[in-house]
Amino acid sequence: MNALPRLCLLAAASLAVFVAAVCIGPTHLLDLPRWFELLRTGVATPELERASLVFWELRLPRVLLAAAAGANLALGGLLLQAIFRNPLAEPYLLGLSSGGALGAVVALAAGAASVTWPALAGSLALAAIVLLFCRRRIAADLPSLLLVGVALGALAQAFTTAIILRFDPGALRSILFWLMGSFAGRGWTEVWMLLPAALVGGLAIWLLHRPLDLLALGGESAHHLGVRVPLLQTAGIALAAVLAALTVAACGTIGFVGLMAPHLTRKLVGAPHGVAVPGSMLVGATLTVGADLAARTLLAGTELPVGVVTGALGCLFFLALVAGKK
Amino acid sequence: MKAEQEPFLQARAVRAGYSGREVLRGIDLEVRRGEVLCVAGPNGSGKSTLLRAVTGLLPLRGGEVRIGGTPLGVLSAKERARRCAVQPQVEAPMFDYTVGQFVLLGRHPHRPPLAAATAQDRDAASRAMEETDLAGFGERSIRSLSTGEWQRTLLARALAQEAPLLLLDEPAAHLDPGHRFAVHTLLRSLAREQNRAVLCVSHDLNLAAEFSDRMIIMTQGRVQAAGTPEEVLTEPNLREVFRCEALRVAPNPFTGRPGTFFAP
Repeated sequence: MNALPRLCLLAAASLAVFVAAVCIGPTHLLDLPRWFELLRTGVATPELERASLVFWELRLPRVLLAAAAGANLALGGLLLQAIFRNPLAEPYLLGLSSGGALGAVVALAAGAASVTWPALAGSLALAAIVLLFCRRRIAADLPSLLLVGVALGALAQAFTTAIILRFDPGALRSILFWLMGSFAGRGWTEVWMLLPAALVGGLAIWLLHRPLDLLALGGESAHHLGVRVPLLQTAGIALAAVLAALTVAACGTIGFVGLMAPHLTRKLVGAPHGVAVPGSMLVGATLTVGADLAARTLLAGTELPVGVVTGALGCLFFLALVAGKK
Repeated sequence: MKAEQEPFLQARAVRAGYSGREVLRGIDLEVRRGEVLCVAGPNGSGKSTLLRAVTGLLPLRGGEVRIGGTPLGVLSAKERARRCAVQPQVEAPMFDYTVGQFVLLGRHPHRPPLAAATAQDRDAASRAMEETDLAGFGERSIRSLSTGEWQRTLLARALAQEAPLLLLDEPAAHLDPGHRFAVHTLLRSLAREQNRAVLCVSHDLNLAAEFSDRMIIMTQGRVQAAGTPEEVLTEPNLREVFRCEALRVAPNPFTGRPGTFFAP
């Protein structure tokens, strides 16, 4: 019964991380005495204008984008783990990341300026093929979904590599950043794509929280308790696929968040989906914003792809999980 | 009172199966309110498939199922769950719920989509926990339970549904003799005192004979014998169905009900 206070604590901690991420960077925005002085004199100095520019055009959209991406991936993981009753389920199993990468690379090779829409088309197309292959046995048949996802993902990767090899070295670097996931060089366009998706998706999933609790008991038990199981499974998988595909299109492949966030959430606020849905949005957002903060500040003068940081975190997380079980 | 006389669960000429294989080949059965029907039969005779077919998990290939007088296909998912509760044979806990939260999930068919649990829901859940000897387990994690406690938790969830029809798949499979007896006593009192219709799949022929009003023995997707335990549990029936010449039947010296023994 103490889930709600825990959720509030989690929200406060998340907010603190978001504020820190907005303030920290080459231009530090958390220099209160100086800003107070500037505001008091009321003179729009170049310094203030620069800070305002950094805040509105760089930090705020970047943090909002990272938060929305993390929330989307976490929601997808939460849905799929409940639907498949499997702790390893996560949205990238549906082949979204490799499909998105192929779409992006094809678009770049064809000389397109933006990869967002081609990547979205690629990831949704691959997810659709994976789901069509498994549609007869979609009911909790994670292994066959996994196999088809891995097989088609490998095929897409082979094509991606073949196309990349024809790129010149300069383009190679940018595509590598895209493949590993990054929030650099994104702006309000991407924020307006992901943030509404996260909020609407989160609300939709929260409205289904009790049927999801029942679905996590297994398809047969959920059926006996009055859930329309095939409908909920199909809707849930489709929702997870769309949320993750939008995320891949906007910021590339950010691994492990969809897998880690639901586990952490259940430890922090509990398993019932009424609290786990908002909880996993917060945890996913915080993880991603924190990882992005680390990615751009760990090495002075250079920026890591955020996927590198979440990958390292994910590895430590799983080792800790296994060690904790023993 | 005519509705009371009508069987609450009616299955007529039910056929069902999986892809190419037909498992149920024309099953008829009826369960009335106030009675316990036990279904026995060898492994693979179609007992669990029967439960799937009459609850709509498996599409019917022929025949008809009515619950509370309404054809199964006409009932909405929630209306079906208000009329018919099932205790599954196996269910593995996935996430960490308390026993109290878990049993309350049985109230889903009675709750509007986003409504919080009402006092009525909480009463039904705690009554179900008392009946299954789980009072005081409310705050325990379902992952900390023994096999027997878990089995009783599953039964409690089904009881919390407060459905007139209760279907159970081997409710006593992993229980010690004390709790096995307690579960069957409970099933009989649910039928007698709460006027529910109880259908129970069981491998324990002796307990079935003691506690059921009627029995059915299935073999190869058909009903081999149906009637009172005395009519059904005869040596010729059992030997044919279970293909075991060493099976003998003798009355229980304490109750007079038929008991099954091995005489190798």
